[in-house]
Amino acid sequence: MKAISKRMRVWSLLSLGAVATALLLSLVMPFFSSPVMADEATKAATEAAPKVEMAKDIYFKTEGPVSGQPVPELKATDYPSYNLPYPLSENRILIWSIAQQHLYFGSFVLAVPIFCMIIELVGLLTKDPVMSKKYDDLAHLLVKISLTAYSVTAILGGLLLFSFITLYPDFFKYISSLFRPVMHIYALLFLAESGTLYLYYYGWDRMAHGFAKWVHACMGVLLNVFGSVLMMLANSWASFMMSPAGVDEKGRYLGNIWAVLHNALWNPLNVHRIIGNMVFGGGIVAAYAAYKFLAARNMEEKAYYDWMGYIAMFMAVGSLIPLPFAGYWLMREVYGFRQQMGITLMGGLLAWLFIIQAVLIGALFFSTNYYLFNGMERMRGAEKYQKYIKYILFLTTAAFLVWLTPHTLVMRPAELKAIGGQQHPVIGNFGVMSAKNGAVNTMIMTTIISFLLYQRSNKIITVKWEAWGNAALMAMFAVALVNNWWLAIYGYFIPANVRVGLSVPQVVGTLTTLFIGSAINIAMMRGSKLTGLIEWGKISVRSQYALFALAVSFTWLMALMGYIRSSVRLFWHVMEVFRDNSPWAFTHTIGFAANVMSMNVMAFWLFVLFVFWLGELTSKHAVAEARKEAARPVMAGGSE
Amino acid sequence: MWIEGYKPIELLLILTIATFIYIGINYVLQKIGKRIPAFPQALLIWLGAWSIFKYVLTPPIPSALLYTYMGLVTLVIFLFISSTEKGWSEFKRPILNTVMAVTPVYKSVRSVSFVVLPLLIGYGTYDFNVPKFDEPIELRTVHPAPPASTTVRGQNFTLQTARNPYRVDDKGEYLPVGKEDKYFKQNPFAPDAKGYLLYVKEGGSIFFQNCHFCHGDNLNGRGMFAFAFNPIPANFSDPGTIAQLQETFVFWRIAKGGPGLPREGFPWASAMPPWEEHLTTDEIWKVNMFEYWHTEFFPRTWD
Repeated sequence: MKAISKRMRVWSLLSLGAVATALLLSLVMPFFSSPVMADEATKAATEAAPKVEMAKDIYFKTEGPVSGQPVPELKATDYPSYNLPYPLSENRILIWSIAQQHLYFGSFVLAVPIFCMIIELVGLLTKDPVMSKKYDDLAHLLVKISLTAYSVTAILGGLLLFSFITLYPDFFKYISSLFRPVMHIYALLFLAESGTLYLYYYGWDRMAHGFAKWVHACMGVLLNVFGSVLMMLANSWASFMMSPAGVDEKGRYLGNIWAVLHNALWNPLNVHRIIGNMVFGGGIVAAYAAYKFLAARNMEEKAYYDWMGYIAMFMAVGSLIPLPFAGYWLMREVYGFRQQMGITLMGGLLAWLFIIQAVLIGALFFSTNYYLFNGMERMRGAEKYQKYIKYILFLTTAAFLVWLTPHTLVMRPAELKAIGGQQHPVIGNFGVMSAKNGAVNTMIMTTIISFLLYQRSNKIITVKWEAWGNAALMAMFAVALVNNWWLAIYGYFIPANVRVGLSVPQVVGTLTTLFIGSAINIAMMRGSKLTGLIEWGKISVRSQYALFALAVSFTWLMALMGYIRSSVRLFWHVMEVFRDNSPWAFTHTIGFAANVMSMNVMAFWLFVLFVFWLGELTSKHAVAEARKEAARPVMAGGSE
Repeated sequence: MWIEGYKPIELLLILTIATFIYIGINYVLQKIGKRIPAFPQALLIWLGAWSIFKYVLTPPIPSALLYTYMGLVTLVIFLFISSTEKGWSEFKRPILNTVMAVTPVYKSVRSVSFVVLPLLIGYGTYDFNVPKFDEPIELRTVHPAPPASTTVRGQNFTLQTARNPYRVDDKGEYLPVGKEDKYFKQNPFAPDAKGYLLYVKEGGSIFFQNCHFCHGDNLNGRGMFAFAFNPIPANFSDPGTIAQLQETFVFWRIAKGGPGLPREGFPWASAMPPWEEHLTTDEIWKVNMFEYWHTEFFPRTWD
């Protein structure tokens, strides 16, 4: 790749930034117009008092002019349905499944450009031209895969829209009356994103060198800006249904679209979904690589897809680490918005689904560690670190045991009597949040230890301060773990609002081990003697099933948490404002819901196989070259 | 063996010690050249974990949780033995040898296995399908979600925002949650008790006149009538009960009792009467204060 001056790089970044800002500015203008309109309406209301009715915002508690109709009071007959056999006779099952598929593909096509952007930039910044091309080809391949998924997302989005209009007409009429401007902006952003995506993909080869390559990389950034804003706008509809704002208690719009948009759960949901999408996208790509690895016919292909699987897993797990903290923030805000919702989720009706979630999250950590343990085997010299596997597994297991122990135990009356109360005196204490925080941080730290050991596997450290470096690493992990456990215990003795704050020092400890630990490890490996190169492709088949487990767990988790988020509204379309009077307003049993989720997961994977197959039809030739390069052995650690 | 207040830590310590004993024994055996092969090792670890969860952990945990724990242990053992190619091959060897009957001994084992395993599976299927008369497993919601608001004695309370009117300091100012710990070690029955402590005392009197028969004089759910019920009444001294709830939740729960529980709380299994029929709202708030003062827990807040 031709070298270009720093000035030109800066210039390309600035120009692209300016284009993005200009585009986004025009899109956000309507948000600023509404408060002005509201102000004018307030003024008008003061001048001609009898004409404009004022009402109070149910969330922000501010006064605003009534600018919309109240929510309709619906009857069961207001929900037209198809006479399909049960359970498809339930409108919500149809909406649930279509929305789930749309969200899956939406998440995938939002996440893949993030990876492409990162991988392309890594390629640009890599000095080794062979590795640089390897990264670039990988990013190109990923965009190609996501292109088909993009069309599927749009089709499913259309299907979802028609389903809302036909199956929940009054609800959709109400929601669209509130979000009218947002929906138009959404459509425009979709157009902008599509255009950028096609330019990004089809311009890949033409913009492969010099200044044009930097412009291309910046287009990747622009693509992600559009995608993220698009997602945030769609999130506002879901979060409004959970935590309405900008309307009065009758559901009447009060003239300020920003208040409707910026409801209590919007931002926590935005953050949680962006991170979640990245984890999910990484998982899908890892599964793709695993599938290709298992189907590979020669060592070259195996080597390429082994490397690809490792990169995807690395990105997915890198994004997974902050996800529990984002989830914690979301739940905190849910409780803050309504105690009732929080208890329904974590202690009441839906609590058992959180236990299933705990199991799936545990599966993610176990799969990751297992993949890394197996990955060590493709490096000569890793034997000296394999003796630590048992300690890592023990710590992870002990933490997971605490993590999955439910607060509400399932038992027979005789077992209840034997325990002597609803709370078990020994393991009952594991059921509350304080213990869970300690457990999840421990699992993250053991995964970090696995990764640090993996990085070292094929190296003999030669720095003079090796003993001090190891001591510093051990001391840091010991302090972080003890601090984490101590705070988990201390959390039982302090008020809940202070306890919630304890998660901050716990997270700080965990992130310190991640960042400082990695920095020390990398510094120690400088100038190290290699015991052998990573022999890509020489990894066990079992490790590839671990990648599948990772991806399927993510998919299941999304289905589960999506259901939980939606069903926490119980019999409300819009929480405490718009009642769901359909015949299907009841909450399904856990077993039934789990079956629907599993069906959705299976349907998605069938869809994904189809998308991958389509991508494969065109990608065979383009990837052949890259595979040859990829078969070249490289050093362990980081992304290489 | 189990020390009150340290039980969860004790369990984790038992598991840790057991693991290190296993590692130590294994190390010594390896040094003297008598290493246990991977397959029996896996069986031993599994049985060791089963013994701890089944017999050491008391009172016994529900079977559903025991199966969950053992499922986890099985998975981890598999991950451990298959994390290296060497371990995996060693683990598989006796299984493959049996299937392929490489020696007469393995052939005998295969013959026995091929008879015993189908019989065991057949018995398992029969046992699973045969009608049973055991009590069914109950998925009980311990803390069903409260309504957004509740009406007690004609007065409406919004549970998200309502405050205990008796939560005041010595000057009569509202005492935020978390600031009451200064009163925890003080004597509310002292003649000069005022403000917060005075209301704790009044709440205590109401508690001992009405509640302690079931909830016990230590508030641990072991009152004189407690064992007539299953489950026994809530143990307030457990960090999983009132310490997890807002003061208004406890107020609602006392006022409405078992009959006032929402549908999602089914099976309710609560014998608590609706105390709004016997106590005033003021008395319920005061009882509430006494419960938190006695247990030294803080109600949940979100700010």
